[in-house]
Amino acid sequence: MREVVVLGTGIFPWGIHSDKLVTDLGVGAVRNALKDANLSWHDIQAIVAGMYVWGPTDGFNAGAAIAGVMGETGIPITNIWNMCATATSVFRTAYLTVASGERDICLAVGLDMSPGGFFPIIGKESSTDLDTLRWKALGLPNPGYWAIECRRRMENFGTTERHLALAKVAASKHGALNPDATFKKIYTEEEVINSRMICDPLRLYMICAVRDGAAAVILCSAEKAEQYTSKPVTVAGVGLGSSVYGDPTLRLGYLSCPAEEGSAPGLSESYMACQMAYKQSGIGPEDIDFVELPDNSSWHYLQYIETMGFCGPGEADRLVEEGETLIGGKLPVCPSGGASSFGEAVAAQGLLQICEIVTQLRGHAGERQVEKAKVGIAQTYGMMGNSATAILKI
Amino acid sequence: MQRPESYFIAEGLFTLSGSEPHLIGGHCKTCGRYFFPKFSTLHSPQCKLNDVEEVLLSRKGKLLSYTILYSESPPPYRGPDPFAPYGIGLITLSEGINVVGILTGIPVEEIRTGTEYELVVEKLYTDESGKEVLTWKFKPAS
Repeated sequence: MREVVVLGTGIFPWGIHSDKLVTDLGVGAVRNALKDANLSWHDIQAIVAGMYVWGPTDGFNAGAAIAGVMGETGIPITNIWNMCATATSVFRTAYLTVASGERDICLAVGLDMSPGGFFPIIGKESSTDLDTLRWKALGLPNPGYWAIECRRRMENFGTTERHLALAKVAASKHGALNPDATFKKIYTEEEVINSRMICDPLRLYMICAVRDGAAAVILCSAEKAEQYTSKPVTVAGVGLGSSVYGDPTLRLGYLSCPAEEGSAPGLSESYMACQMAYKQSGIGPEDIDFVELPDNSSWHYLQYIETMGFCGPGEADRLVEEGETLIGGKLPVCPSGGASSFGEAVAAQGLLQICEIVTQLRGHAGERQVEKAKVGIAQTYGMMGNSATAILKI
Repeated sequence: MQRPESYFIAEGLFTLSGSEPHLIGGHCKTCGRYFFPKFSTLHSPQCKLNDVEEVLLSRKGKLLSYTILYSESPPPYRGPDPFAPYGIGLITLSEGINVVGILTGIPVEEIRTGTEYELVVEKLYTDESGKEVLTWKFKPAS
């Protein structure tokens, strides 16, 4: 497959946009990406869009809705819904569209307006649907699942409430430096530990908020990109993972999991996505300069550092304690401020991560610049066994 | 005809027939794997034949992990009125699976992992007509 680079990125600012249509957010992000790439809409040869699943039918046809506003040109449009992996899956499909030679320039766009609070059921209610049952029979929300895994971690490795608080403090320090972040306040350990308990042991400030937002990335073949930019950011590798039989994690939305540990990694879908991207790129965790991981909660923050191979099981606690996950440390985590500082817009979040990686690699991150950033990795969470990874380099 | 006083939150997940309540699971006769609920099959890639039978799962197990919910989940969840914080646990069954269930019969601040729990079927809420809607829960084993 041929080399693919990023020509442009753009976001629609994360926030609460109830006065807008979700398509408006996508169009805004696309326009900003075109501007960044110095391209016009006519240059786009294919669209891959994340679906918007919390609303009516046209959300499932998001790509066409955007094309309707930008101008319909009859180009191929793919709409993707892959749970938390949606935006990065969109990126991967756009990447493959160009890498395969099918198209030279492809747009990847994700857009979302969160329904607020806990996410509702996506499809129709049914008594043979796990998502329906975890609500109706138990009332178990997403943070409840994370809390159950978090307590396992605390008992296995001695992770404390303080470690969970430090994860939030670290992310907030980066958010404070990012003009695009929703939340720019730097939290103290005390504030986090004294915040309201939501799903023990996860407190309010240990769980990310939800927000509306959109992000777009324009990909181009390396060859053709020479006429547009002299300093392209290259897509080094992408991965898409699904669950491995025997994974002992209680998967989000499920009512049971295997009791035996060791036959498959925990968060296996995330592990597989990450390994696939490492293998494809020939880059390993030791070569990564900074990471945008899915910090939906403090548990995720600690767990994903380990799942992605940056340290052994239980060792992320010490990295956070010693400040190594801050910009300037051994492994800057979420230099953007993460989902913690933006709020989560599910179908767009992975592309937001990728936009940050591009900004960092170009050296345009201002106060939150990771010095000598050459390689960055974007990782999604893995709801119901879907996870995706992207590695970019300059 | 007497009106039923209660009904299950969903059919096919648990049963009261017999002297004790049981969760209804699936069991693959080929690879020996158990599933809960019975329709949520996660087969081994090595398993050549998906021959799943319905089984009653064992009733007792140790609490592996838990959370305590401090705010009421939105619809479609409906629970006791008024809301009070409650625990949801992950219990290890001898069939080699961990299952989730509401924890009952113990103050939330006393919940500890490692405790032996047993399955019960109890009221989740009372509906408009006064009928009790039942779900499965786990309480500390006597």
